[in-house]
Amino acid sequence: MPQTQIFPLQLGFMAKLPNLVSLDRRSFLKKSSLGTLAGFMATGERIPSQIYTRHTDEKPRETVGCAVIGFGAWGREIAATLSRNEEADLIAICDNYEVMLQRAQRSLPGVSTHIDYREILDNPEIKSVCIATPTHLHREIVIAALDAGKHVYCEAPLASTTEDARAIARAAKAASGQIFQGGLLYRTEPQYRSVFQFIRSGALGRSVFARAQWHEKVSWRRISPNRDRENALNWRLDASVSIGLIGEVGIQQLDTASWILNSLPSAVSGFGNVLFWKDGRDVADSVQVVMEFPSGVRMIYDASLVTSFDAMYDTFYGSDSTIILRDSKAWMFKEVDAPMLGWEVYARKDKFYKETGISLLANATKLDALGQDPTADDPDVETPLFHALKTFTENYFFGPYLPIVDYQRAFEATVVAIKANEAVVGNTRIEFEPEWFVV
Amino acid sequence: MATRFEFVLLGEDKVRLRAAGEEALAEIQALEKRLSFYSQTSELSQINRRAAREPVRVASDVFELLQTALRLSQATDGAFDPTVAPLMRCWGFVRSTGRFPDERELSDARRVTGMNLVHLDEENSTIRFTRPGVELDLGGIAKGYALDEAAAHLRSAGIEHALLHGGTSTIVAMGRSFDESRWRVGIVRKDASILGTVELSDCTMSVSAVTGKAFVRDGMVYGHVIDPRTGKPAKGASLAAVVAESATVSDALSTAALLLGFEAHIISDLCTGWGIDIVQSQSEAFIQERLPGFRAVT
Repeated sequence: MPQTQIFPLQLGFMAKLPNLVSLDRRSFLKKSSLGTLAGFMATGERIPSQIYTRHTDEKPRETVGCAVIGFGAWGREIAATLSRNEEADLIAICDNYEVMLQRAQRSLPGVSTHIDYREILDNPEIKSVCIATPTHLHREIVIAALDAGKHVYCEAPLASTTEDARAIARAAKAASGQIFQGGLLYRTEPQYRSVFQFIRSGALGRSVFARAQWHEKVSWRRISPNRDRENALNWRLDASVSIGLIGEVGIQQLDTASWILNSLPSAVSGFGNVLFWKDGRDVADSVQVVMEFPSGVRMIYDASLVTSFDAMYDTFYGSDSTIILRDSKAWMFKEVDAPMLGWEVYARKDKFYKETGISLLANATKLDALGQDPTADDPDVETPLFHALKTFTENYFFGPYLPIVDYQRAFEATVVAIKANEAVVGNTRIEFEPEWFVV
Repeated sequence: MATRFEFVLLGEDKVRLRAAGEEALAEIQALEKRLSFYSQTSELSQINRRAAREPVRVASDVFELLQTALRLSQATDGAFDPTVAPLMRCWGFVRSTGRFPDERELSDARRVTGMNLVHLDEENSTIRFTRPGVELDLGGIAKGYALDEAAAHLRSAGIEHALLHGGTSTIVAMGRSFDESRWRVGIVRKDASILGTVELSDCTMSVSAVTGKAFVRDGMVYGHVIDPRTGKPAKGASLAAVVAESATVSDALSTAALLLGFEAHIISDLCTGWGIDIVQSQSEAFIQERLPGFRAVT
């Protein structure tokens, strides 16, 4: 049953119980809908987007006041996503460039705009802030926001240096009554979570290795009639502040590997060059890394701004099966000597050249019966960012509890990304020291 | 929109041109996510779900687009109508290849079709449907709007000369072509032969034609272009082209002109101030040399 339909029914029931009437929505939700959500997670079923979408006439009784600091492309995505989250009340946008604020006024009715982020921190109606400034500018703003008593969603990576990342993590650790969530998107994505459980139950057999990629043919360059603004916009191409493709993009998939393989890496080797976008940049447009895990499993990863072939996916290879995740979908390819699981007889199967993949999409057979292609893009599937932000705002009502992506996990992933970039820049191998991961 | 967009950008600095083009394409993708009729998570779908029950507040850019759509619908006497979705569904053209509806279905669909059922409140920036079952599908105008927005983005990035198109049916011509001449664009018939060429500069052109999904019943071909005024597949022209200052306008009016057929000149009278020229044809004999630099190919 969609979560949104539960609220009115149970609130109506509560009204007859005098000793419970005083419960506000935040504490009530802790006692009711969390069980429903946990139920979905436990079954491993894909959570339909509708579970997060209010379809009834009733408006939310309580919302959490939110602000977005940094209104670049990703900040706009966060703002648009919060606008669809009916438990979030997007109150303010901050950016240090006036044109971005004009843009915010045009696309977000009723939202106040600010050049100075401290005005947002001074607003008591704003309980939560999402920080989407360039990575190297996170530290000052995150710490100020936590000091101001705000709950913080900080984009990943936390910072471009381990010193800054540790300072952020320490501030988050000290602010124990506040929510701090790092922007590692796949740990809260329903399909990844259900596959994670499936793999942990032994579906792969003995893990052999992992392979993942992110390919998109884009320059990463931004332009502006204002040269100073243009320099600021192109921070990702400036090696003095950027941790490059592996840090800004690869962090998500390196973290997925650590999560699924249940271990931090022990070493990383990296390679990278400017192969195509020879426009004066010194940040590699194509990178490859090999991550070594203590179990002997290695992950091979590549990211490129030069080729778009095959876009993005994560693959985990094992002695019994191989599982591939892409576009909020997943398939399992079984070895002929793998044990029968039972349910796969009824599952939808898709051909991939000479291989047959068993769909791990819970409703694939149903979609097939309805004449919809489960391998096609599903316009109704919410983005990983939606689920990450939903997790963040729900923590406000259910919690505060330690988020799935807490300061420790976000810090660890940031350290891995920073060191992976160092390996790429130096074309070298780096062994991780355990103390690097201590906040 | 589910359409391929392509840009030709002219200038000295290839790196900056590419970067500007990438951002403009990203703008189009972002708009598609917001205005998609088919995605349940789009802003448009939220409007469609809620607006029959309560006024729905919408972003100011989307509100302006809805106002434009309303004015164009009024100007064309309902030939352009973004509420045509129930009729499309009734004729089986939504995610399917078409079927003949019964009278009851048709009448039910017509009851919930018409921009007179859409109320826009400018003061509160809200939209409300006055009857349950009304749905907005901006497919007839969103492509043009997205191209206008992309062109505005390119201009703000300092790009002066460019040719943009969406699905080859709506074109934005900015400035001049390679040799300082105007951008020369062909109008193609259903059989892929060229009907004629036009020369465009700092204007837009949209072409609509009866192609694509269709079915045959009792020897009659029923195409997927539904006339909102009659509730039945169009019987107007086989092709219509509209040149206007704005791609939002040309996109919407080319569909309307297709439905209006020989009455297309009516749009010119009704749309004074939109800055448009129209050519429409049922056969080559009816091509009018009203488009800029139009040359029929013989």
